[in-house]
Amino acid sequence: MRNWRRSAAYRIAFINFGALAIGLALLGAATFAMMHASLTRQLNSMVSDEAATLAAEYHSGGNGELGEAIAKRQSSESATRMLYAVFTPDGHRIYGSFPSQRPAALGGQEVEFTNPLEGPDTARATAIDLSPTERLVVAVDSDWIERVEQAVLIEFGVAFLGACMLGLAGAIILGGYLERRLRSISRSAEAIIRGDIRERMPLSGRRDEFDQLALTLNRMLDRVEGLLENLRQVSSDVAHDLRTPLSKLRTLLEKGLLEGRAADDLLEDAIRRVDEVLSLFAAILRIAEVESGETRRFFAPVDLSPLVADLAESFALSFEDEGRTLLWSLEDGIRIKGDRELLAQAFINLLENAQRHTPSGSVIRLTLTMVGDTVCLQVLDNGPGVPTADLGRVTKRFARMGSARNTQGYGLGLSLVSAVAKLHGGSLVLRDAEPGLSATIELPRTSACVSHSQATTKEPAE
Amino acid sequence: MRILIAEDDGDTAEFIRRGLTELGHNVFVAGNGLDALHMLLQSDIDLAILDRMLPELDGLSVVRRIRAATVETPVLLLTALGRIQDRVDGLDAGADDYLVKPFAFSELAARVNALVRRKPLQPTLSSFEHRGISVDLLKRDVHRDGIPVQLQPREFRILEELMREGGKVVTRTMLLERVWNYHFDPQTNIVDTHISRLRAKLNEGGKPDAIETVRGAGYRMADDA
Repeated sequence: MRNWRRSAAYRIAFINFGALAIGLALLGAATFAMMHASLTRQLNSMVSDEAATLAAEYHSGGNGELGEAIAKRQSSESATRMLYAVFTPDGHRIYGSFPSQRPAALGGQEVEFTNPLEGPDTARATAIDLSPTERLVVAVDSDWIERVEQAVLIEFGVAFLGACMLGLAGAIILGGYLERRLRSISRSAEAIIRGDIRERMPLSGRRDEFDQLALTLNRMLDRVEGLLENLRQVSSDVAHDLRTPLSKLRTLLEKGLLEGRAADDLLEDAIRRVDEVLSLFAAILRIAEVESGETRRFFAPVDLSPLVADLAESFALSFEDEGRTLLWSLEDGIRIKGDRELLAQAFINLLENAQRHTPSGSVIRLTLTMVGDTVCLQVLDNGPGVPTADLGRVTKRFARMGSARNTQGYGLGLSLVSAVAKLHGGSLVLRDAEPGLSATIELPRTSACVSHSQATTKEPAE
Repeated sequence: MRILIAEDDGDTAEFIRRGLTELGHNVFVAGNGLDALHMLLQSDIDLAILDRMLPELDGLSVVRRIRAATVETPVLLLTALGRIQDRVDGLDAGADDYLVKPFAFSELAARVNALVRRKPLQPTLSSFEHRGISVDLLKRDVHRDGIPVQLQPREFRILEELMREGGKVVTRTMLLERVWNYHFDPQTNIVDTHISRLRAKLNEGGKPDAIETVRGAGYRMADDA
């Protein structure tokens, strides 16, 4: 509550309260106006009814009857005591005790009179002519309305004040509550800024909007923490993996010097080693580029079937040369929106992977199929496979399984495949094929892509 | 051949200059983008090798400006950035080829040769002849010493590229780009596999090797075939 003006929570609460108070006041004013109109109307009809009754008495019983009726009415005690008078045209009072002048006009009107207790006053009155010489005036002191209205005003005022107090208290409680909830989130964020990355947003357990927000933030933090962890892991892996080829290079150069190897030959060897390191860097950068998703803007429709057929044909030869067999079965007409080169690179990596980690004589099967709305490219081998426990790990950067440690490569192949699949909204799924490894790139045939392909080709509508 | 090198790194510029001079080219060096632009607009340059990042005016802008001034000099962009979008940007700006640093000099030399050959708009040849090997692009057939050689489409494309360069070196990367349309290094031996198949078919019957492997550079049609 340090600074109410700068607190949105309090501002909202007070605006809410202000709106409520204004609403109540307007409601009160409207009710009051209606009540006033209704009371006045009631008073008017009371006096005009009374005048009509007296006029009827006068016409049936004459002057005597009228005088009697007036006298009788004047002597009765009632809350709304009426005042009566009958005047001659020259203003002389014949009956009644209404202490006023003869009204000049006929009908309902405000009349001034002298209240014996309070002095000059006004009254609601009706004047009718009983005969050319007699004008009857029936009046009621307007004080009655004023008294009623005053009483109502006081009661309303008290109620209004009470409501305002309640509203104000509500606003303060609400403002405080909102501020407290927000501040607890902000406190956790501060802790994270200070470096405690494990800190999470507190939950109230009410499952309200604040909890929803906190849950979302916590999910975000989990992701950030995962990424940070990954980053830490990768940088240490990069450093570690760089040392190996660099120390090999160093040994090579040192040995060359000692043995007096021909400079040309030695340098050529050294350049080849350096190129290896550079291609390792290129691969790391390529994965980073793919993971950043920046290349999505180059997405265009890609005809997968001919692309994969082409790759299969290109690779069949080199598989054959090394004593393996590549068999393929590809569904026709599969097209997705994506990056042709990256997809080709991912497929090549899968094939290379199969080639690299299977013994001579293995059979590798490549299939491209549509399963529902998912494009599946599977590379299945009957080699030694990967233990189920390690399946989740092999797509991580620099992951090389025990047996693969001494084969060439830096364990970046599958992580690029996985990154490319993710870039296209899909995933790389590895399964134990018992025996062998099944590696499948699953890509969604996105709606954008479907509409695109329908627009540019003459595919039959499904 | 008058070749302009725009490169602000002295060592790299000198390395390229010396190599190209040895190949018999007349080489000029510009240390910044404005000088390069000036020379390209005012002098008669046959080919420009521009670094992407240059002081004063970057390589991309130089290409854009000379293209806007309808100077059609072939441009080879050099860059330390190997990202997909950088290559697309470079080619969009009007560069003819793109090479990522660090590169082997042989790669640069092969590309320079290819660009220079392209320049005096070749009449689109439909057949090539080189030391007893003939390739007919229309009939899509190949003969060696008058005897037909059966090739797979991919092998045919490789031979076509080698023949097109007429005895100059074609690098593995160039073959990947032109035959497979891959602008990345797939780190695989598919090029070598295909070359060895092609070679076996061409050399059938104990003929001398038709394709020469240039170590560390690439392949070319053998001169003494």
